[in-house]
Amino acid sequence: MTTIDLNLVGAKGALVEEAEGKWGMVIDQDICTGCQACVVACAMENNIAFVGEEDSGYGRSMHWIRIERFWEGEYPEVKMTHYQPMLCQQCGKAPCEPVCPAFATVHSQAEKVNLQVYNRCVGTRYCANNCPYQVRSFNWRDYNDDRLDEAIASLKNHFNPDVTVRRRGIMEKCTFCIQRIHKAQDKAKSEGRAVADGEFTTACAQACPADAIVFGRVDDPESLVSQLARQSHGVHHLEELGTLPRVTYLVGGQ
Amino acid sequence: MTQKISRRDMLKLAGLGATTAVLTGCGPASKYVKREPYFSMPEYTYNGESTFYATTCRECAAGCGTVIRTMQGRALKVEGNKNHPLNLGKTCARGQAALEGLYNPDRVTGPLKQGRGNKLSGSAVTWDNAIGTVAEALKNHKPDEIAFLMGLAPDHLFDLASELTGQLGAPAPIRFGALGMFESRATLSRAAEELFGQAAMPFFDLANADVVFSFGANFLETWLSPVAYTRGYSRMRKGKNRRRGYLVQFEARMSQTAAVADEWIPIKPGSEGLVAAAIGKLAAEARGASAGAFKNVDAAAAAKAAGVSLEKLEYLAGLLASAFNPLALAGGAALAQSNGLQTAKSVLALDALLGNIGQPGGVFLSPLAPGQEAYHRPASAQEMGEFVQKINSGAVKVLFIHGVNPAFELPKSFGFIEALKKVETVISFATFPDETALMADYIFPDHHGLESFGYQRVFTGAAESALSGAQPTVTPFHDTRATADVLLAAAAQAGQALPYADEYEFVKSKLRQFVPLSGGFFAAPEINTFMAYFQQYGGWWQTGNALVAPAAANAKLNLAEAEFEEGEFFLVPFVSPTLGEAGANKPWLQEAPDPTTTVMWNTWVEINPETAHELHLENDDIVRIVSAAGEVEAPVYLYPAIRPDTIAIPFGQGHTAYGRYAAGRGVNPADLFGPRVNEAGDLAFAGTKVRVEKAGKYRVLSRLESKIGVYGEGMGEGH
Amino acid sequence: MSEKQQHDHEKHLREEHLMLDPLPRGQMNDMVMESMHTTSWKFWAVFFILSAFVAWGLFYSWGKMILEGLGIAGVNRPSYWGIFLVNTVFWIGISHAGTFISAILRVFKAEFRRPFTRAAELMTTFGLVQAGFSIFMHMGRVWLSYWLFPYPNQRELWPNFHSPLTWDLLAITTYLLSSTMYLFLPLIPDLAMARDKSTGWRKNFYKVLALGFRGTEGEWTHLRHAMNIFAWAIIPVMFSVHTIVSWDFAMATRPGWSSSIFGPYFVIGALHSGMGAVVLVLGVVRGTMKNMKYFIRPEHFDGIGKLMLMISMGWGYFFFNDYLVQWYGGDKWTKQLLHWHEAGPMGWMWFAMLIFNVVIPWAVLWNRKWRSTPWLVGTVGLLINFGMWFERYIIIPISLTINRAPFTWRLYKPGIEIPLSLGTLAFFILLYMAASRLIPLIPVWEVQEGQMAHEFKKFGRETVVTVSELE
Repeated sequence: MTTIDLNLVGAKGALVEEAEGKWGMVIDQDICTGCQACVVACAMENNIAFVGEEDSGYGRSMHWIRIERFWEGEYPEVKMTHYQPMLCQQCGKAPCEPVCPAFATVHSQAEKVNLQVYNRCVGTRYCANNCPYQVRSFNWRDYNDDRLDEAIASLKNHFNPDVTVRRRGIMEKCTFCIQRIHKAQDKAKSEGRAVADGEFTTACAQACPADAIVFGRVDDPESLVSQLARQSHGVHHLEELGTLPRVTYLVGGQ
Repeated sequence: MTQKISRRDMLKLAGLGATTAVLTGCGPASKYVKREPYFSMPEYTYNGESTFYATTCRECAAGCGTVIRTMQGRALKVEGNKNHPLNLGKTCARGQAALEGLYNPDRVTGPLKQGRGNKLSGSAVTWDNAIGTVAEALKNHKPDEIAFLMGLAPDHLFDLASELTGQLGAPAPIRFGALGMFESRATLSRAAEELFGQAAMPFFDLANADVVFSFGANFLETWLSPVAYTRGYSRMRKGKNRRRGYLVQFEARMSQTAAVADEWIPIKPGSEGLVAAAIGKLAAEARGASAGAFKNVDAAAAAKAAGVSLEKLEYLAGLLASAFNPLALAGGAALAQSNGLQTAKSVLALDALLGNIGQPGGVFLSPLAPGQEAYHRPASAQEMGEFVQKINSGAVKVLFIHGVNPAFELPKSFGFIEALKKVETVISFATFPDETALMADYIFPDHHGLESFGYQRVFTGAAESALSGAQPTVTPFHDTRATADVLLAAAAQAGQALPYADEYEFVKSKLRQFVPLSGGFFAAPEINTFMAYFQQYGGWWQTGNALVAPAAANAKLNLAEAEFEEGEFFLVPFVSPTLGEAGANKPWLQEAPDPTTTVMWNTWVEINPETAHELHLENDDIVRIVSAAGEVEAPVYLYPAIRPDTIAIPFGQGHTAYGRYAAGRGVNPADLFGPRVNEAGDLAFAGTKVRVEKAGKYRVLSRLESKIGVYGEGMGEGH
Repeated sequence: MSEKQQHDHEKHLREEHLMLDPLPRGQMNDMVMESMHTTSWKFWAVFFILSAFVAWGLFYSWGKMILEGLGIAGVNRPSYWGIFLVNTVFWIGISHAGTFISAILRVFKAEFRRPFTRAAELMTTFGLVQAGFSIFMHMGRVWLSYWLFPYPNQRELWPNFHSPLTWDLLAITTYLLSSTMYLFLPLIPDLAMARDKSTGWRKNFYKVLALGFRGTEGEWTHLRHAMNIFAWAIIPVMFSVHTIVSWDFAMATRPGWSSSIFGPYFVIGALHSGMGAVVLVLGVVRGTMKNMKYFIRPEHFDGIGKLMLMISMGWGYFFFNDYLVQWYGGDKWTKQLLHWHEAGPMGWMWFAMLIFNVVIPWAVLWNRKWRSTPWLVGTVGLLINFGMWFERYIIIPISLTINRAPFTWRLYKPGIEIPLSLGTLAFFILLYMAASRLIPLIPVWEVQEGQMAHEFKKFGRETVVTVSELE
């Protein structure tokens, strides 16, 4: 692990490159049914704004997780590729981190995930350009402002108080439900124990009716997620870039 | 857990159940948690601490158990109830978005004199007046002039209305829902009756099967109980002893279910029963067994009629024959044909031939819910047609509508909208200003499902016999009132009082019969404690496997060709997997991309690219789809996985009302359906044939996918 | 050679070369002052139209965008960067010409530079102003842009020095400050001249700006030293600025961007557009301002034309180099990207770029006669600027369409970027017009110095031009 400690120059953030992660996820593409439950669950948990027909058709939807699919062959031998839920891979060596001029996307040394510091973000969108997975979404407008859309005033009653509501001009992305991580850790700490595997999970994994998404500690070889990730058909997306993703995809399945 | 426990013990208990609910109290006095300011919070809420309430999802009628995270009186998140036998802690996208229904900006906020306007009227009435109006309606009409039209959920209200009509001597309430129509539930239960001698909802044990042939059953989308079937699918895929399950889907258009299948066989619509029979015969031959009901089937002719090669059928039959736990299931558009009943029987007969009836990985009958005596299916299209005729004849003077939107869901050709004009008084209990509610004289809005007491019977999907419980998770957000309370109060005023003080007491009285029963998920010495646990755990169910293994009877098949209307293209309408029947008013469901096309916020028409090329159509060209019954206009989506002779349109959009996110968006393919029904009385909507005309307009569909990256658009030749 | 012929030859040389065609000092000063003071109604008409344009296109539109968010622009996923960054790179490119001409040509003692160094330096400063506008427009929360500067603060929050954007910002700021100073230093003697020839508010204006310059030997010595130091020092700054701008792209993990040749490729591209812009400005100045036909002659267009040809060849080389290396690399995403450039819906722009940047300059600028035709070279300059703007457009939004996640590929369609781009252009012209009426556009002292250094000398019967070093 190489840590370039920028505290030398008084900076609060640090760029960290780490082979070992802490939290990780396994997505079994063979059983993913593309049902979008994770997408909506994520939106509900993380106060993600909807953007309307025009913007969503113009590549401005704010999904933190999206389900990709492609086609192979031509009719009648046409086949849809496995559904591929794509979310922030929480890279150990994240391309988004070094390029932010304001240290708004930094690595958490405690949780070893990639953080987006909303109130530090000035909106250069460099991180999003540099993300090979294209999983960052930008607040192109004030989608959550009830002064602009009175409907939001009613809808925001269900907003999760643990998650910041983002305003225009800032970047956001999957946080591995950091609020849930913290809540579970606080609870475990107050009870004087460690967080148990499966004690809590992310909103997407919690909703997934097919159990295609599994979340947990990847630094614990006994955890379910570690065991699944060790399987021979587990792959990391765009591994050749050396980003050290924390999300393992299980493909094939045969 | 049988000793009597105090309220405080109860709270401690609630803390033990890791995710299940803290309940609010044991009687009507504390039915709701109020939205309170910080300085006077109820004793069991703490700053920053969530309170969880177990309840039942009402986004469809499957009855999944949910746990709602609330904080300071606001519902924040829908989570699955881990204890619930149907969904085991999981939810679908529609369930997740229930909160956008609860806090929808376009709810009916209080009782209204609607006066059959085009928009929601502004003339509010008091609840006393509202109850008075209902009481007058009940009192001033002869019993047979009164009719109740209800949705597939919730069951407790249906039971209450049934008791009320019983008391009045009025006809029993009629239940209808678009999902029931699209799933052809009457056909499925009728086929089960004819084969197994028992009208019941079949249960397909997907989890334990290893080769699954699905004839049009879109069980991963909206079919019957999608969360339960998705779990079954997942278990099937993971397989036993690392033997991965194999799924083959037979349908004309690749649905989301077919998309994850290992093989998609695009057979001609209407030939499903024939194909099942041919496969049965070939499989029996491969096993060297008697083909039973299929012995007279001509496999080569079936292959020809379905548009697949005989070799393919032989190969597929081989797959089935060599499987340990083969399973065939039928549903969706396959049954919505003139020969739909025969198709259902043919597929069930295939199961019987394969010897999986009542076997693991095979076909069972769904257990009845606790306290239920017989399977009760919703009205078929034929029954709805008769009901509409009755209305139209002027025999119905007062119509109560709850939980269903027939003006949108029922095909226009049924003439419901016109018939409704003949009714003297239409009283709607709609939570949302849907099309039917706007046509009513009064709207006396019910609470949202998350604000209501009640229960829902799990009718299929779980091996256990389960009654899913509902309780308010928040104080009603608007000036709404439980329809059950309104009916009870009005009945009392009309001199027809039922023996229940209110909805809560009604539910409690229905639960009383379970207190002495054993084998339940919990037990309690008396009803108040039982009721408290019922709320805490989100229902009551028996822990043992209650699937019914029917005796396989040999079916008599009469495999007829499906009849179609005149037209160029087969029409495959399907319920939008993300919107379902009533999700269009929830913005996040609108923005959840369709799993197969990734289209958001609109309706599209799926056309094979070859066909489109012949018709000179491009993506996003608006086409007019004309059937004998009507026409709709929507943009084209060049869908690579649909038969060239077929087009497909999703159902779910096309509202003219139903709030800002739904109204004026997309089209309703139900407008294209004629009133023809199949033998079991279900709508034969898949027998519709249509003409495609270029409308000369253009509208870009919002897609999540990239047309460049996925279809190579703009990449020039060779890409 | 006869006397007559000799006379004609000298006359011809005088007509051709400003340096050989001296005028009395006072007269030349008056000409420059006159050019500054002569303002027709057309000038004011254009001035007000442009002002209105700046008010609407730049300030109103920008204000609207700040209030509503970048949604009213055309940026999306995956084209997170759009025309704002195109304009930033473009304007920084334009700004390179000033330094190139006044620093490099000064250091190399290219005598033809003398009358237009100031015109070029003004372009540098005003171009950088537009670049600054553009980059701040691009930001999602521009009101927090001061966070990008390393200012001491109680919470010890610093910008990220790993980010090429931070380098970029520092480089541009350095360049803006140094080029402004470098604009100002040679201006001092001319401001002093203007002060001496002005009355009223102008006198006070120049008095302040001229810093009390009287033209003593000591002042000249100091000024020369300062200019020499700056001329040498600003050259590496100039090269580094556009190299660093290129690193915004080259340091990123993206197909088409992570190219090691981007540094020099961007520098030569900047010079390409810069020279094109200089020649265009000179054409306009010569055509519209009084007395300018004396100062700016076909020989200057000829000289710049040669430079443009050289630079065009250099650009062609680097383009080819970049293309070749990317193509040969064989990365599947890069391959898709190159295909997208040529065969995609914006393929016309790719071909237009090559035609404007290479084909047309090469076809026109070989010919000395054409090269000396101001309107023709000016037009070529204009086309090169289109070509170079296209190049940046291809590198930014068009290349951003193609990434490693094909599910997200999407074309970029500009929205409010268009009024904003026109607004920056209008503001550039407006600043230039204002400057042309406020400061001497011709560095008179430099011209006079050059003319003093040039003279005809007779060697036998042959008249030759000699240049002496004035120190």
